[in-house]
Amino acid sequence: MNTVVLAFTMILLTVILYFVMNAVYVRLRSPFLVPILTTTIAVIGLLSLFDASYETYMVGGKWIDALLGPAIVSLCIPLYKQRDVIKKNVLPIFGGVVVGGIVGMLTGVLAARWVGFSTELLASILPKSITSPIAMQIAEELGGIPSLATVFVIIAGLAGILMGPWINRWFKIDTAIGQGIGLGVGAHAIGTSKSLEYGEQTSSMSSVAMTLSAIIGALAGPLFGIWLFP
Amino acid sequence: MKIVITLLQAGFLYILFLTGKFLHEKLSIPLPGSIIGLLLLWGLLSIKIIPLRWVEKGAYVFLSTLPLYLIPATVGVMDYGHVFAGKGSLLILITIGSTFITMVVASLVSQFMAKRNVKEEGTLS
Repeated sequence: MNTVVLAFTMILLTVILYFVMNAVYVRLRSPFLVPILTTTIAVIGLLSLFDASYETYMVGGKWIDALLGPAIVSLCIPLYKQRDVIKKNVLPIFGGVVVGGIVGMLTGVLAARWVGFSTELLASILPKSITSPIAMQIAEELGGIPSLATVFVIIAGLAGILMGPWINRWFKIDTAIGQGIGLGVGAHAIGTSKSLEYGEQTSSMSSVAMTLSAIIGALAGPLFGIWLFP
Repeated sequence: MKIVITLLQAGFLYILFLTGKFLHEKLSIPLPGSIIGLLLLWGLLSIKIIPLRWVEKGAYVFLSTLPLYLIPATVGVMDYGHVFAGKGSLLILITIGSTFITMVVASLVSQFMAKRNVKEEGTLS
């Protein structure tokens, strides 16, 4: 097939599926129907049906992927509009991000080591709570597989947005700061995309947590790994 | 006219991202271009070089469809089925369990500290 036609088909397929899945989600509001999850499953299903590889998909997919950068930059807007709330809560934000970040790296790596997985896998699972470009860097520095690190990042993100509502109910997380920091620290950009449904305060907390995790992770992640697997 | 303004704003956000990417590559800052771009925009807004209304409309177009832009990355999971076969399936359980603990701890710590903050200062945020 002509590359242009193929690219166009893949883009159209993704966009249409996304808007259909979004409409379904708006109608039914079940946490299992979040469009990022259902669209991903639908796209993978269709690709498998036609025996198309991920590489083939990305001929068009890369154009959508190219817009992720400016979309992340856009997260600055809720962040900036909520700057007074953020300034007032500097310590709680730092506390949640640092403690949560350490717990995230430790529990994942220690559990995987306990089961007996290779260092290569441990290094790939370590940065799973951090946004994928940084997670890939950290995994690479520690001898992991960058693309596999992305897979763990995505599993963490999807699991995070599914569990978020239960966590909030069971542990009485009833403030914008508590809910936003949880999503941003545990589920990075995927969590932050979900947090936009909760309102501006929650999404600003989630954005700030995601950004701060990325910054701290980029600086401390490799050191942490060296300490964990000498 | 409205759509032109929105597109111009979206274009400006894209330029910020490209600037971030450029800085990441040239100065080898260990942060992705998108995060550097976000911090740049924060700086520009804070020192009032550009007003919020110059970027707000464009930003909300991106934000209202944010999950869409993550899909090409999430579809990539399809190439890793083999890693999660057999014992590998435990890796999924570990990732989910660890994410659960991470979120609970992060939420509880920040919420607890914020509520104590409010008590000490006697003001609501």
